[in-house]
Amino acid sequence: MDPGQIWTLYRHEIRSALRERSIVIASILVPLIMYPTLLWVGFSAVSFLQGQAEAVTTRVGVAPVPELHQPLVDSLAADRRIQVVPWEGPDGAAATEIARGRMEAWMELTPPDQAGAAMEGNAQVRVLFTGVREGSRSALDRIEALTDEHRNRWIAEWRSELGVADAVWGDYAVVMEDQATSEDITRFILALLVPLLTLIMVALAAFYPAIDATAGERERNTWETLMTVSAPRSAIATAKYLYVATFGAVGGLLNLAALAISLRWILAGAGNGMGEELVQGGIPFSAIPVIVAGTALLGLFVAAGMLVFAVFARNFKEGQSMITPFYVVILLPALFLQSPNLEFTTGLAAVPVVNVALLLRGAILGDIPFLAGLITLISMAVSVVAAVALAQFVMRREEVLLGTGTGGFWGFITRTLRGRRTEA
Amino acid sequence: MSEPLVRTRDLTKVFYEESRGEVRAVDGVDLICNGGEILGLLGANGAGKTTTLRMLSTILRPTSGEAWIVGHEVRNAPEQVRENLGFYSASTALYPKITARETLRFFCRVNRYPRGKVEDRVEELIESFGIRDFADSRVEKLSSGMKQKVSIARTVAHDPPVLIFDEPTVALDVLNAIELRRIIERLRDRGKAILFSTHIMSEAEQLCDRIAIIHHGRILAVGTLQELRDTTGHHYLEEIFVHFARTREPSEAQGEAERPGETGP
Repeated sequence: MDPGQIWTLYRHEIRSALRERSIVIASILVPLIMYPTLLWVGFSAVSFLQGQAEAVTTRVGVAPVPELHQPLVDSLAADRRIQVVPWEGPDGAAATEIARGRMEAWMELTPPDQAGAAMEGNAQVRVLFTGVREGSRSALDRIEALTDEHRNRWIAEWRSELGVADAVWGDYAVVMEDQATSEDITRFILALLVPLLTLIMVALAAFYPAIDATAGERERNTWETLMTVSAPRSAIATAKYLYVATFGAVGGLLNLAALAISLRWILAGAGNGMGEELVQGGIPFSAIPVIVAGTALLGLFVAAGMLVFAVFARNFKEGQSMITPFYVVILLPALFLQSPNLEFTTGLAAVPVVNVALLLRGAILGDIPFLAGLITLISMAVSVVAAVALAQFVMRREEVLLGTGTGGFWGFITRTLRGRRTEA
Repeated sequence: MSEPLVRTRDLTKVFYEESRGEVRAVDGVDLICNGGEILGLLGANGAGKTTTLRMLSTILRPTSGEAWIVGHEVRNAPEQVRENLGFYSASTALYPKITARETLRFFCRVNRYPRGKVEDRVEELIESFGIRDFADSRVEKLSSGMKQKVSIARTVAHDPPVLIFDEPTVALDVLNAIELRRIIERLRDRGKAILFSTHIMSEAEQLCDRIAIIHHGRILAVGTLQELRDTTGHHYLEEIFVHFARTREPSEAQGEAERPGETGP
C-alpha cells in the first residue's frame, strides 16, 4: 500500500465529511455543546425551582402543646417558609385538610411510650403529611430538623439538672470521620461517568461517518467512481477506516473536554457549593494520557466494527439499521461498569471495550494494574487488526462492491459459511 | 504492428444467484482496441456490456479468460490496470461537497499523477474542458452540463491511455450528449483507446470506428460499419443488429468466432 494514496483518500474523506452538515452536528457539535447545554439548562431549572420553593410559604397545622414544649412551636413559627396554624381536631379531619392542600402537614405532641414516660414532660412528636407533594415533604423535613434541635436543648437541660458533665456525656457520642476527601468523591463520580460517556460519544461520533463512508458512497453513486481509481482496495478501506476512527476518537475527546469545561465554569458557578467541590477533584493530570490513548483505542475499535456492518448497506436507512445493533452491544458493558465493585482483573482486560472502560476508570482513580493494562493494549490491538482485516476482506467481495448481497453482515457470514457464492 | 492497448481472450463472467443458480453474464469475449480508436460495444440492456467493461476496469473479477490493459492483466495487476484507465458511466457520480478543482486534484493524486505536476495538470484540464468559471464551486451547486464536464475531466485527469465510457449518454439531454460525443472524438484524436458501450444504434453509427455486437454475453460480430454492412447486406445498424441477433444465436455464433470481419480479433 502506498501511504501517499491512503493520505490522499483520507484527506478527501475528512474534507467531504467536514462539509456535511449532519456529520458535523452529530460528531463535533453534539459532543462539544451537549454537556454545557445540559448542565446549564439543568442548573437553571434547579435554581428556578429552588427559588420557587423558597418563595412558597408552607402551612403547618399545630395542635395545642404543653408550655414546656412551646419553644418547638416558636422555632417553627420563626421559619419564614412555614406558617404555623393552630389547628385542633380529629386525625381524619387533619388528613382531609392535607389531602385537599389546605395544609401541608399537621403536628401534635402525644404522650411517650412506656420507657419514655419515666422522664417528666417527655412527649413524642406525631406528624401527618403526604409524600406525594414536595411542599408537604419539605414541611416534614423542617419539623424533623427543628424537633431534633428542640430535643437536644431539652436533653442538655436535663443533663445539667442531673449533674452529668459534658465530658462524661461526650463518651457516648458517635464520632464519624469520612476518610474520603472531596477530591476522592469527585474522582469516584467521574470514574463511573467518564467511561460510559466516552463510549457513548465515541460510538455516536463514529456512527454517521461509518454510514457516510459506505452507504453514503452508494447513495451518491460515487462508489463505482472510487472503485476505478488506481489505489488498491485495501488502501481505500484503510483510508475510510482511519476517517471513521478519527471522527470517533475526536468526538470522544471533544466530549471529555466539554465535560471538563462544563464542570469548571458552569458547575463551579452554580453557587450551591456542589460545583466547587467537583472542581476541586477532577481528573488527575497523570490520567490524561491514558484517557487520550483509551479514547483513541475505542475510536479504532468502534470504527472497524461499524465499517464491517455498514459496508453492506445500500443507503443511509439500511446503514442505520445495520449499525444500531452493534452500537447497542458495545454500550452494554459500560452499564455493568456502573457497579463500583467490579475489579479490573486480567480476565476482564482481555474483553474488548470492557477493558478500555475499566482502564479509564482505573486511570481516574489512580489505580491501573500493570498486567491488566498490558493485556488491554494487546487485546485491543488484536481486535482492531482483526476487525480491519475483516473489513478489508469484506470490501473486496463483489457482492459488497456491487451492493447485491442481501441480509447484511450476517447474511454474508451465512453465505460464506455455507460456501455459497455470488460469483462462480 | 504495435500491441493493442486493450485485449481480451475468452473473457467470461458467471454470477451465482440464489433463484437462478449460475448465470453466464459474459461468455468467452475476445476483443481488441488500439490507440486512436473508438470501439463500440453495442447490445441490448442485459447483453453483458457493463459486465465486460467492469471486468476491464477491475471492478469485477473475471471467472475465466484473460484481459490486458496496456499489457497489464486485470487479475494480476489491477492497480496498474486502473492507473492506465479512465472509467466513466452514467452511474459514476462526483463528490458533491468538494469543488470542481478539488475533484480534479483528488483524482490526479489518487491515480498517481506525478506529484509535482498535479497543479499544472489541473489547470490544463480546467482550461481544456471549459471549467474555469465554476472551478471553485462545489459540485452540488453545478448544473448537469457542468457536472458532466467535470466528470469527464476527472476521468482523464491522470491522462490514461485507455478510456471506458459505459452508456455515458443515458441520462443526458440531446445537447449534452452531442457535446460528450465531441469530447470523446477529441480524445480519440489524441491517441486514446476508447471503449464505448451503448444500446443506441445511431450513436454507435456516428461515433465508433469499429463496432462489436454483443448479445446474451457473447460477441456476435466485430467490424467497421462498412464491414458489417457488407457481411449482412443491410444498410442501417439497427437492421444489422437484428440480423445478427436473429440469425446468430450464441451457440452458432461462438463456433464462428474466428471469421474475419465478424467476430473477435
